[in-house]
Amino acid sequence: MIEFKTISYDLVQVGEEFKSDDFLIKPEDVETFAFAVDDHHPWYFDRSPYGGPIAHPVLLANQALMMRHSRYIIPAGLHAKMQMEFVEPLRAGMRVRSYGKVIDKLEKRGRYYMVTEFETKDEESGTVLVRGQFTQMLFKGERHVA
Amino acid sequence: MSLNKAASINIGDELAPRVKQIAQRQIDAYSGVRPKSIHTDVEWAQKKGFSAPLAQGLMSTAYVSQMMVDLLGEGFVRGGKINVAFIKPVLAGDTLTMHGVVKSKAAESDKTRVTVEFWCESQRGEKTLVGTASGLAA
Repeated sequence: MIEFKTISYDLVQVGEEFKSDDFLIKPEDVETFAFAVDDHHPWYFDRSPYGGPIAHPVLLANQALMMRHSRYIIPAGLHAKMQMEFVEPLRAGMRVRSYGKVIDKLEKRGRYYMVTEFETKDEESGTVLVRGQFTQMLFKGERHVA
Repeated sequence: MSLNKAASINIGDELAPRVKQIAQRQIDAYSGVRPKSIHTDVEWAQKKGFSAPLAQGLMSTAYVSQMMVDLLGEGFVRGGKINVAFIKPVLAGDTLTMHGVVKSKAAESDKTRVTVEFWCESQRGEKTLVGTASGLAA
């Protein structure tokens, strides 16, 4: 049983680890993403150099970002920076999960941030598909969402 | 892996700009509709001081990826990197223009890493994203 708390700079600890729920990449997820970002590259729907269709490289970025929701209530906050490295192509049929760790928290010009590194893996093979890190702005102390 | 030729890419080359009109339905599809979300709840976004719901910054990384796949193909899908900062909000209804200029080429093992400087501009003339992306060429 998880006791959700509203995330804050004071609460988050460097070294803290996150894990997303697992997610089965389905053909309709690939199609929905293509609509959302208006990118209908044929590799995502037909044959690709990798045999069958692949998914958009950025498809799972939100899964990484949402890891924190597995433990915290996240009030709207600025997403400041994003780094990603695409290690292996994503495909429909993969069951994937993102793993993350807070590597820094910092104050800059009166604003508070946390930096989280992550890896997104194919749960079946353990292969790293995407890795990277993101920087999110936080409120300093406890704050109610509504 | 079949890579595009680095010799055909020159430092200073400008990538063809890509224009994206950001519809609320696309933001809904990207972020998932829920109440009390600055991305998908109009009233909530306005209550938080925005004239319209905000697109997630991550949506713009997909536009960067699209331009890099166009430039480098397989060399971006496997071995590509994105490193960007989101500097201004993007609102539902905005029109964004993505720009990219080849910044460097550097040897990496037996391949060449091509790095492109990116920026994204809204119809208000504001830069909303700046950063780089890179991938591999032969």
